[in-house]
Amino acid sequence: MTVFAPNTATRKAPDKAMRRTVSIWTVLNYAILIAVAVIYISPFLMQISSSFKSDAESTSNALGLPQSWTVLAYKTLFVNSNFPLWIVNSFVVTIFVTAGRVFFNSLAGYALARLHFTGRQTVYAILIGIMAVPGVVLLIPKFLVIRQLGIYNSYTGMILPLLVDAAGVFIMKNFFESIPVAVEEAARIDGAGVFRTFWSVVLPMARPALVTIIILSFQGSWNELSHFIVSTNDPNLVTLTKGVAQLASGQLSAGNQFPIKLAAAGLMTIPVAVMFFIFQRQIMNASGGAVKE
Amino acid sequence: MSDHGQRPRRSGINRQGVAGWIFVAPTILILGLFMFVPVLMAAWVSLSNWNGHGSPLETGVGYVGGNNYVAVLNGQGIAGRDFGTSIRNNFYYALLVVPIQTAISLGLATFVNRRALKGKAFFRTAFYFPSVTSSVAITVLWLFLFAGTGSVNSVLSWFGVHGPNWFQDSRGIFQILLNALGVQTPANPPASLFGISWWEWVAGPSVAMCAFIFMAVFTTSGTFMLLFLAALQAIGEETDEAAMIDGASAWQRFRYVTVPMLRPTLFTVLTLGTIGTWQVFDQIYTGTKGGPSKTTLTPAYLSYDAAFTSQAWGRGSAIAFILFFIIIVFTLLQRMILGQADPTLPSRRDRLAQRRLSTLARRGTTKGA
Amino acid sequence: MLIRRSAPLGLIAAGAAVVLTLTACGGNSTSPTASGGASGAYTKTTNAITVLIGSSGAAETSSVQAAVAAWAAKSGISAKVQVASDLTQEASQGFASGSPADLLYVSTDQFSGWAKAGNLEAYGDQLANKADFYPNLVSAFTYNNQFYCAPKDFSTLALVVNTDKWKAAGLTDADYPTTWAQLESISQKLVAAKQPGLVVSNEIQRLGVFVAQNGGSLVSADGKTATVNSDANVAAYTFAKKLLTEGAAKLNSDVGAGWGGEALGKGLATMVIEGNWITGVKKDYPTLNYKVVELPAGTQKGTLEYTNCWGMSKDGKNKGGALDLVNYLTTTQQQLQFAKDFGVMPSVKSAASDYKSQFPEMTAFLAGADYAQNLPAQPGVAAVLADLNSQMAKLKTSDPKSILDTEQSAMTQALAG
Repeated sequence: MTVFAPNTATRKAPDKAMRRTVSIWTVLNYAILIAVAVIYISPFLMQISSSFKSDAESTSNALGLPQSWTVLAYKTLFVNSNFPLWIVNSFVVTIFVTAGRVFFNSLAGYALARLHFTGRQTVYAILIGIMAVPGVVLLIPKFLVIRQLGIYNSYTGMILPLLVDAAGVFIMKNFFESIPVAVEEAARIDGAGVFRTFWSVVLPMARPALVTIIILSFQGSWNELSHFIVSTNDPNLVTLTKGVAQLASGQLSAGNQFPIKLAAAGLMTIPVAVMFFIFQRQIMNASGGAVKE
Repeated sequence: MSDHGQRPRRSGINRQGVAGWIFVAPTILILGLFMFVPVLMAAWVSLSNWNGHGSPLETGVGYVGGNNYVAVLNGQGIAGRDFGTSIRNNFYYALLVVPIQTAISLGLATFVNRRALKGKAFFRTAFYFPSVTSSVAITVLWLFLFAGTGSVNSVLSWFGVHGPNWFQDSRGIFQILLNALGVQTPANPPASLFGISWWEWVAGPSVAMCAFIFMAVFTTSGTFMLLFLAALQAIGEETDEAAMIDGASAWQRFRYVTVPMLRPTLFTVLTLGTIGTWQVFDQIYTGTKGGPSKTTLTPAYLSYDAAFTSQAWGRGSAIAFILFFIIIVFTLLQRMILGQADPTLPSRRDRLAQRRLSTLARRGTTKGA
Repeated sequence: MLIRRSAPLGLIAAGAAVVLTLTACGGNSTSPTASGGASGAYTKTTNAITVLIGSSGAAETSSVQAAVAAWAAKSGISAKVQVASDLTQEASQGFASGSPADLLYVSTDQFSGWAKAGNLEAYGDQLANKADFYPNLVSAFTYNNQFYCAPKDFSTLALVVNTDKWKAAGLTDADYPTTWAQLESISQKLVAAKQPGLVVSNEIQRLGVFVAQNGGSLVSADGKTATVNSDANVAAYTFAKKLLTEGAAKLNSDVGAGWGGEALGKGLATMVIEGNWITGVKKDYPTLNYKVVELPAGTQKGTLEYTNCWGMSKDGKNKGGALDLVNYLTTTQQQLQFAKDFGVMPSVKSAASDYKSQFPEMTAFLAGADYAQNLPAQPGVAAVLADLNSQMAKLKTSDPKSILDTEQSAMTQALAG
């Protein structure tokens, strides 16, 4: 109780003295935040509005609303290009990678958190070491390995290397460590084997962490580009990222075709945006503590 | 976690041992196959003269020692000059992006963290959303915004400024400044570090690179803002109020109280930022492919281009390893400068500290989230 | 502790073991179909054929697609056209991965490098109409005395003028520039009459015409010595720079166009320097009226010539089928059809007179063939040209002599090894 009194006392004094300054600061605070928010949101608004313009208008009137609305860009995208195929490929890869990561990351995370096996420390050290390797360094080498294994130009080649990620293993490991051992001990006393304990008892309790993995995996594999560049060159295996990147460098024909490119970029953002808005709270709490992108 | 019975423990741990390995096996297999083995193969290719046809492990592929590394590092010829240019470009990119994005994300976090701020969730969402999108989508958007007659130049014209043709402009910003002050571009400057002239080193990032710098700040400040927000919320209000009682001004409170307590998070943000900026590839591949005039060429893109387009696989692999080395060096440098002992510990220490502070906070005040 | 210390060694041993295993498996990347090399016919199989092209626009894409589809229907072998957004990179990745396109456009700059690396099949001697190709085109695609691939067409650069804007500035047919001085003054006249003037690309594949017109070249006639910084070249690029700095000429990127055809079609240019493929622009900009005239002369007439061939990948899975398709695509009628669709000039002598009579508006391009220059195509030169291009992008603010001096040493190095 005595803890409260000084606080309320101190809270009153600065308030009275700084009342006028506080309100100026508050106004400034809001002004800056709103200005920055405008800067952060308006590009996307301009993207949507310009995707409904004609080619010529997108260069002559870049800032305003379309003078004549047209869905030509979207039509071209769905009729004259492989955009629908790209969508399918992206979904196939993303779904398999997300499912795989949920399964394998939780297995490995549980093993590192709770199971005693020889070499556990080594495996842990290896994982940390792997996280230190910058992704970009692996571009050429991964191409070489994928080629050598004969999985180039296949869904396997696109999905398999992405099935596990070290950061996800850490997230699961940290979460499993926070589950009380008593739960597992109880299950073991009841005669459950290791896998049974994991699958039926511990895993259901890990729902929040699993949701985090699902979100991060979905985002990561949907937005992945460099891996798809090196693992395929077959136009039937192009994903949204690779396809839109090709569009940006002018595949359909020479010239600035902004409406089509903006429409494609906007459409490819919708699934991640939807995921984001639904799971906002979870994402922002997870990213506050997680380390990787 | 201590089992005291002898026999049950041994059999229990044996079962755990086997299960442990089974559980971890897929992860080890996939990561080993697609992360560890590739590095070994690329190391071999970087020391060989493989030309891209057939397998690099076939007989007949010659060992050339450090030739590929020397060709890139000695600044001779186009290979050397390209590498030097890419290092200069990425160096300025990192130099500008890391401080700016750290400052902006810290600033945003501070403003959003204000008690009694209405619409906190809205602002957090608005600032974080760009980080969720794909770099390809944002690059396409950027190409549109920063086109010669695009939105950015339209807005600049409201202030009477005639914006440059951003992604086509290869002049360095310091070069523009020097030219404006009357220093002319020298005609034939001698080559210096890594095969490019001192003038090119001084010229700074090009206007096109600056557009990419803005993009980097736009897309990553949200992520780092969340890291800072978490840290700020863990610090809590008491320290701040204590300082307020002592008569410190808002700026003094920020500088001498808040920032030092943010040191672990600051270190994380700076490290992640540095590692990220030296790997920039997607944006270059989608947007400018190194142009205009190779001023947006980065070592990562150069490595890819040398291998996949020019079929110089040995050179591409060598550049990739040099880049790996650069990233490690910069990370270590930062550790030394900021005086942290272990990069993985701060997050644990940070979390412990946060937990301690938050328990204190819970006990001490009645404030809600 | 013991485990820890030996773990790194154990890891490296394990890694090495995996690498050696990988050597065993997946090492065979050669195609299973029989191929006779330079001698002996190729076997035709039913494997699908892919054709990788670098298109100049929608006109070329649909034309090639139509031709390939017609052949597929006739021969019963399925064939598909892929349009590359970056032909060199996609082709290179295809070669390296062991699954390249069966047929692809091969330009002169990439040809010798790919032939040397063993990516291309030398099938030239198997062509049905081998004797009909122009000899200089055949030699452009001969490496190590082997005729590798069939030239698909050729083009030259000329001056393309928007006749509506020309008339609007008060100019007539007699005013088409024939010398450098006239080019400069006409362009300035256009600008003074509030019409856009000359718009050029900053690549040497276009600006290089000035070099040809000044009697210069990037390598000596025998292709063994670099002549990048010769006085003629320096003077040529100095003239180009002059046009840009005094406002008589603008760059495509300055006016917001991706290439000359777009600049012309959108009314952002009155004169552009482009090649035969400019005819495709009519599809995108139907209201455009243009005329093609020969480029002005410096000390002599000069222009650049481009040709591509139908390269066949060595790792292709249906070489017999691919050869059949090439024979189909290089027949006289098919080449005239391509000429009609996107303006390129046939690579076979038998089509010359028909081309002249059917396309009188293209005489300027054909005339250019007599005095056209090719950019150097030795192995390793492509990288020098790319570097020269990146330097030329700054032509307005740089010194041409220092750019050419730098590239002189690069070119010497490239030619040496």
